[in-house]
Formats: sequence, C-alpha cells, structure tokens
Amino acid sequence: MIDLNGNTVRVEKALYDLSLLDFIRDHALLKGTKYGCGQGLCGACTVHLDGAAQRACQLSMSEVLGRNVTTIEGLSALTDGDGLHPVQQAWITEAVPQCGYCQPGQLMTAAALLSENPVPNDADIRAGMNGNICRCGTYDRIRRAVARAARET
Amino acid sequence: MENIVRNISIDRRKFLINSGWLAAGLTVLTSCKGVFAVLPTTANPEIEDGLSWVQLMPDGRIRFLCPRMEMGQGAPLGLSQIVAEELNLEQSQIECVSPASNQSPPFKMTVGSESIALFSEPVSRGAANLREHLRQQAARETALPIGQLKDATGGFDAVGRFIGYGELVPAEVTLLMPEQNDTVAQYFYTRAEARRIVGKSWRSPDLENIVTGKTIYSRDVSLPGMLYGDVIRPPRFDATLVDAKDIGAEAMPGVEAVVIDTSNSLLGVVAKSPLLLADALKRIEPVWRFGNSTASADELEVTRYRARDDFEHTLVDEGNSAANDVISVRSVSANYTTSYMAHAAMEPRAAVAWVTEENVKIWCGCQDPYFIRGRIAALLERDEEEVVVHPLRMGGGFGGRILSQPAEEAALLSARVGRPVGVQWDRETEFQHNYFQPKFSHAIDSGLDAKGKIAYWRHDFVSSPIIFGLVPRGLAPILDTFIADKGTARGARMPYQVGQQRVRYSDIRTEVPTGAWRGLGAAPNTFAIESMMDELAFAIGEDPLTFRLAHLAGAGGHMEPLATVLRRVGDVSGWGRSTPKNRGRGVACAIYKGQTHVAVVADVAIDHGERQVKVLRLWCVQNCGLVVNPDQVENQVLGNLMWGCGMALEEKLTISDGIANERNFDGYNILRHNEAPEAVIKLVKTARAKPLAVGEAAFAPAVAAIANAAFAASGKRPRALPFDYDSLYA
Repeated sequence: MIDLNGNTVRVEKALYDLSLLDFIRDHALLKGTKYGCGQGLCGACTVHLDGAAQRACQLSMSEVLGRNVTTIEGLSALTDGDGLHPVQQAWITEAVPQCGYCQPGQLMTAAALLSENPVPNDADIRAGMNGNICRCGTYDRIRRAVARAARET
Repeated sequence: MENIVRNISIDRRKFLINSGWLAAGLTVLTSCKGVFAVLPTTANPEIEDGLSWVQLMPDGRIRFLCPRMEMGQGAPLGLSQIVAEELNLEQSQIECVSPASNQSPPFKMTVGSESIALFSEPVSRGAANLREHLRQQAARETALPIGQLKDATGGFDAVGRFIGYGELVPAEVTLLMPEQNDTVAQYFYTRAEARRIVGKSWRSPDLENIVTGKTIYSRDVSLPGMLYGDVIRPPRFDATLVDAKDIGAEAMPGVEAVVIDTSNSLLGVVAKSPLLLADALKRIEPVWRFGNSTASADELEVTRYRARDDFEHTLVDEGNSAANDVISVRSVSANYTTSYMAHAAMEPRAAVAWVTEENVKIWCGCQDPYFIRGRIAALLERDEEEVVVHPLRMGGGFGGRILSQPAEEAALLSARVGRPVGVQWDRETEFQHNYFQPKFSHAIDSGLDAKGKIAYWRHDFVSSPIIFGLVPRGLAPILDTFIADKGTARGARMPYQVGQQRVRYSDIRTEVPTGAWRGLGAAPNTFAIESMMDELAFAIGEDPLTFRLAHLAGAGGHMEPLATVLRRVGDVSGWGRSTPKNRGRGVACAIYKGQTHVAVVADVAIDHGERQVKVLRLWCVQNCGLVVNPDQVENQVLGNLMWGCGMALEEKLTISDGIANERNFDGYNILRHNEAPEAVIKLVKTARAKPLAVGEAAFAPAVAAIANAAFAASGKRPRALPFDYDSLYA
C-alpha cells in the first residue's frame, strides 16, 4: 500500500518492480506527473515522497511501500482552505508557463524547497531548482514566482 | 449588405456540423482551399479565412476556432484578444478551441513566428464582420436606425436598452458570406490608441490547468480499450527494413499483434500494457539494409567548397564584388561553425490512433494537423476525408513537430488491430529519430577602407536544406537541383551598408535528417555575421556598437529602426562603462524575417577558478510592431534569450556511424537554472500599425552577443559553437 494524495492505494506484488512514475500514470491514471527523460535528469516527474522532492522515474514501487506520495494533483491539498498552493498561485500571477509540460515538476520542487527553506535567497532558489529543466526558458519567471510564493506565504 | 447564406454546399456545411453546429447559431464561413497532399501546409491565410473561425454560440458567447497550434507561444491567447477587441468581449465571453482537422478548412502550419503577424488580419476581419452583422440584426429587431446601436460589452446599447449577442442568435444555422472588399471597420486597426483589449496582458485561461496538472498533452490521452504499441526503429539514418522474424513476441501473454510491414519499413508490437512492449520487441529479429547515395555530414566544410569555388546559390552580389581592385587598408578573414542541434522539447512525442473501417482518428500534438492527415491517409491508402486529426497542446514545438512520427506508427499498428493504439516515444528516441538543425560552416572575408568603413564583404557558407529537409527521398534530387533553401539562408543577408558584398551558399543534403528548428538559419548566420562585425571593429579599435551604427547610417534611413534598438540597448545596459577584469560586454543585432528589429547586450564573466564561462545578464530591446499581449511577448523574448545561452554554450549533437550519439540530457545539454542569466527586456513603442514576428526574433542576436562578450572578457574569439572555458583557452 501507499498513500497517494491522501488515499490509501493497494499495490499488487506484480507491480513492485514498476517505477513510481509508471504506477502513477498508468495505474493510478494521474497524468499530471510527466515523463521527461526516464533517467532522473530533467525533473519533469518530480513528486513528494514523505514531503521531500523525488524523481518518480527513479523509484520502484517496492521502495515506496508504506510511504506518502503527493503528486501535482494533490499539491493544493497541502495548504489550508480550498485554494491553490501558494506556488501554484504565484505561478499564475507571474504567468510563468509557456508550453507548461515541465511545470508540474517545477512546482513540486519549488513547494518542497519552500517547506524546507521558507525564505530562500536567489542562490538558494537557483540551487534548489537546478535539477528541473525548462526548455522554453522560463527560468527567470520561475525564480520570481518562487520568491513571490515565499513572500506571500 | 445582405450576406446571409443558407444554401451552402455540403462541403462547407460539414465543417460546421463537425464543430457542433447542429442547432441554432451563427457563424461566418469561407471557401475550402485545396492543399497538395503530403506536403506541409504552406498557403498563407486569405483575408476571408477568418470568417470560418468565429462562431456565435446559442448562449451568446463567442467560440473561436483558433487556426494556430499551441506549443507554449501563446498565439491562441493573442488572437482571442483580437476577436474580443472586434466584438467587445470580456475574457469570459470567448472560448478558444483548437479545431479538429474536420472542423476547419486547412490552415497554414504553425511555424515562422507568424501566428499573430499573419493571422491577426483575417481573424480581425472575421470577428468584425460578425459584429456588424449582429448590429444589423439588432437594428431589425428594435426597428431602430443602425446608427443608434452602439457598441457595448457583449452586445449593443440600443438607446439605453442592452441587447446581448445571445438575444441575436438566429433560430437556424446561419452562415455569413461577406461581400468582396467590404468596408467593415476593423477596430484592431481603426481604434489605434483607443484599443480596449489589444495591448493588455490577458492571462491565459490554460494557466490554472497547467499548474494543477490537468492539461492534456498527447501522452496523457487515454481511451477505453486502448492498447499500446512500440516500434523497432532503424539503427542508422540510412537503414531500410528488409525482413524480420518473430522469435516469440506474438506468443507472449498480453501481446495482441506483431506487425512486420516492410513496405512501410515498420516493425512493431501491440500489447495490452505499455510495460510489455520492451520485452516483446526483443523477440523480433530485424534485417536491415544500409546505405544510400547522400553525402556524408563530414562534407559540410566551407573550405572544401571554396577550394573548388563551387557554391550553388548566390544570395547577394552587389557593388561589382568580382572586381579585384577593392582598396582596403585592413582585411579580416575568419571561419565560424555551428553544430547539429536537437529540439529537445520537454514532452517526448506521443500519439494515439484509432483506425476502423469507417474512419481514422488521430490524437497528437503537431504543428501541421493537415500535413499529418495527408501523410496518414497516404500511408493507410485512405481518403483524406476519412482521417480526422485532433490536435493537442504541445509540450514545446520549436519546429520539431511538423511531423508526428508516433501518429504514423500508431496508425499502422491500429490498422492491424482495429482498436485505439497509443505510441509514446521515450527520450532516447526523441533525441535520435527526429530531424535536426543542420550544422553550418561559414567563411567571411572582409576589408576596411581608410575611413574605417567596410569596403567589401564576402561570405560563403555550407549547410543542409531546412524548409525542404523533409521532402521524400525520391523527390529530393530534383528539388535540390532547382531550389535554394530559404530557410538555410534565413538571416544571411546582413543589414549593414558596405562597398561590395557577395553572399553565396550551398544547401547539401546529407545522411542526417534536417528540418525546421527555432529560427531556421537565423541564429547560425547571425552568429557568423555579428562575430565578423565585432572582429572588424576590434581590428581598428572602434567601439563595436558605434561601428555598427556607422554602418547602418545613410541609405535613405531605412535601417533607422535597427539603429534605434541598438542605441536603446546601449542606454538600458549602460554600454561603454568599464568592466572588471575577466568580465566583458558584447553586443549584436539583427532583423528577423525582414521585419522585427532586435538588439542584445550580454554581460559575460570568465571564472578561471571554476574554469567556466558565465552569462550574468542579458539586455534585449525589440521592435516587433504592435504588441497584442505584452506579457506573452516578453515571455517569448525571455525564452529566445535563454536559447541564445544554450546555443552559445551548451548545445551540440554529434553523429557517428549514421546515428546521433546523444541520447538524453546528460549527453545533450540544455540550459539549466544555475546557468540562466537575468534578463532585462524592453519592447519599443512604435508607430507601426501591425504586429510582427516574435517567437524566434531575439534568439539570433542573443547567441552572437554572448560570443562577443566572451571575447571582450577573455580576448579569445569563440568561432565554433558551442564554446566553453576549455575550448576558449585551448
């Protein structure tokens, strides 16, 4: 079993070797977590494992049994109230996305970064976000949005 | 102006029915232009085309069937604003949808930074015609003179009474066919300074779905009963499938079909789960034939062609350049090269196809749904009308999705099983089996006269076809003989006033598949031109910005817009101030597609301790005419500047043994957060009345400005891209 966005989900033994990413997308049918490289190089598949940002493509189901997994679909539930998570709100205010494909991963990394370090400086943001590639090149806006979310939380 | 058409042909009516027009409503419609099958859709929109894209829905809202594909550039939002300007709409009153291929007549593929520049006019006209028709209708219903129906948000003010568009929806499906050369006022143009919506930074309605993970890309499409397919792809560019043997794939539980189709060079499996595919493919043994008659990529060296004085095309030959009596007091010659590059969009491509006896349905992200439709119809030997392509938002395009290879693979597999089949490329396939930006090899000889003006400029370069990179192999030899590829030459016509000028090039087709990539030849060609301009300035100790301005003066002032952005970027960047040791400023400018003027200044640092070249900051001033959505334009400029950093310092695809060596983001580097500089972006307010190209414009000068800044910081000239600390100090 795993806890996926607050729901207990049974994992059959036959799926223990499956990657968490494949499980999330093809078995739980949550499509917000993206495949980008399959090798932990791009960050598109970032989820939270017990609150820490992790690459879902690099984890097997046997490694995450009994643990809490949060995907982009569950991010807003981490905050009080019905609204979006502060990073999601900041992403909209700064109009960050272009194609948008990498952004769920960027958001998950940013949310984990802020929960560890609520007041990051520019160097902290760069270092914390460095594993997430954005081909459209929205880096400047991502940094502004992370800083905004930190300010407004 | 009686322009209501009820007896429309079945051919025209079908687009309406397909887009939901079974009941009441009003739309405007135009002719369906024929497009040659299986070639990219290249016809420019005609002014009447806009009429088929705007519909009034029964609830009074407007549906805009956007004729541009969304890949992050935001064109549908900008065009929606133009519709809203004409029809006086709030953002909530317009719904922008991407039409399936049977819901709109074919429209030009989404390329070339022209979505707003080229489509604003027909979209504006279509919406304006609808507005004026509705005003007439309101006049009839109120028995008021038409002049008393004033514009109001979402309808008209009839002497104090509001009439919403919803009250004007006719009882039956109605089409407008405006008169030729009508004089309907297009507010987009006539309101000029009084525009209400154009010029505002509307936020995309897609943002919330993106940040909550709800946006559907090709890879996220899931249909009931869907199967999964994968294909063994050729181990080299020149491989053709001759035969194959199934050594146990079909016998695997969960495998639905093994498809060995030598006529289409396709070898694949279909299974119930995507997790079975890799194992199943291992149980098929392909037999390949290798070799074709095209040139090797190694031949793309300008020195080889210069030695034979053999260039296929002369782009410019002005001022008697053949004469040998040019007087110059200082000559400079240099060669510049750029690399093969990949699109490396974050979304590896994917598609779902569902082939039945009745029809063929395709879901994929693509820049040209009508090209995809034509190719799949030809592949399956079906009528084009039977094939429907449902285009989806792309996770990045950059010229790389003119084709949708997984759609073709899925179609062939689905044809065998009769059920929907999804094919998802992995990252390795995305790097190795698409087409690429060709490498470029340049040589420029130039000389200065005693006054420091360029006396002559002789630029030769060799690369591969880009616009015609995707033509079928059989057609290529004929085409290559007669056509100079304008994509390869994009940006090669430099803007400066010089005594004599000659620009020649050859577009050589090689083993390596090449095609559209952001800006086509603009970035490689601008890098060469703007590097040489820098070399010339330094050769005589002139300031590089001043040197450029001196060569933009005169000639009737037609280079004044470029001079203006150069001066502005000098102002905003504090150009001319001294820089610390190991820091340098570089400048470059360019005109994109003859319309958009851009200048960039880069601030580069050399870190000897870490052995790194770092771009600290970029300043960009751009004149792209009328700006429909400033925030979207600035985001596009930002992306272009980041691509400039990537091309200058990171991106290189290498070829050995007929295949790309790079397979993932560890071998092929793109820019990351810690390398991404701050960017200062200024859009010039302009008297120009039309929007101009944005999506690729700032990229080319950014590359060159970084190279020039690296020279200023190090005294070493980067002439081969990408460059790094080690290559600079080699």
